[in-house]
Amino acid sequence: MSPDVVEEKEEESNALVWLTGFALLAAMIAIFIYVPTERKEGLIQRIMYFHVPCAWLSFFAFFVVFICSILFLWKKDREWDIYAHASAEIGVVFCSLVLITGPIWARPVWGAWWVWDARLTSTLILWIIYVSYLMLRAQSDAGSMRARYAAVLGIVGFLNIPFIHFSVLWWRTFHPQSKVITNEGIGKGMDPSMLATLGISLCAFTLLYFLLMGERVRQEKLKDEIDRLKREKLYSS
Amino acid sequence: MHNLGFLFAANVFVWGGIIYYVYTLKQRNRALEKDLDLLKETLSKEG
Repeated sequence: MSPDVVEEKEEESNALVWLTGFALLAAMIAIFIYVPTERKEGLIQRIMYFHVPCAWLSFFAFFVVFICSILFLWKKDREWDIYAHASAEIGVVFCSLVLITGPIWARPVWGAWWVWDARLTSTLILWIIYVSYLMLRAQSDAGSMRARYAAVLGIVGFLNIPFIHFSVLWWRTFHPQSKVITNEGIGKGMDPSMLATLGISLCAFTLLYFLLMGERVRQEKLKDEIDRLKREKLYSS
Repeated sequence: MHNLGFLFAANVFVWGGIIYYVYTLKQRNRALEKDLDLLKETLSKEG
């Protein structure tokens, strides 16, 4: 890569850092200052502005794993494998945050930290699938077979997401139905200020995803470069 | 200020989790860059 290209990439990365920082700050201001307190649940409802974006980010990350895994199996290009691996790790981090913030919100509202309803259980299964994916990736015996098995798991794991989304419609669950996507249209079930705050928070978390992806992909590429040089050293000696 | 503790706890987990993850990413990248530089130096010395 030429120095000009590297400089351009660094500038892009810095712009993304600033943009993400600004968006997260705007989200915090909207969550704690702008948006009114919900009448029924009170202050605790503000957890939604973190909980939903974390869920969105993890689903989006697993969708990227799904697409990149298909492309890896089809094209056999290591680049797609790198993207899938990086996205899976970010997805697991944010899925963990969903599984932590959910019970904190549920305890004062439902009177229980956890209930085995369809939405919660299927989300926990999703988390277990992608933790298994990362464990498979962490196996020491590197090779294309490991990448292929991981790609298959990445694709199968994603099939759980539509099930999670529709679980609140198919069964009677403790978890409330979506107020963003309703039968009347997108955002019709929410106050405009709440919808705007959620929108800002969703944008901020999406930017954060791209920022984290950039760092994580760079890490995988550095590892590949180190492996390549080590092999080169081994063959030359 | 009912349930403020729960809201605070959720915030601590979310921001703490994100900051910790970013920190570990940066640490791992720094360590890898160091390894790469060392390897390149060794290879260039060996010619």
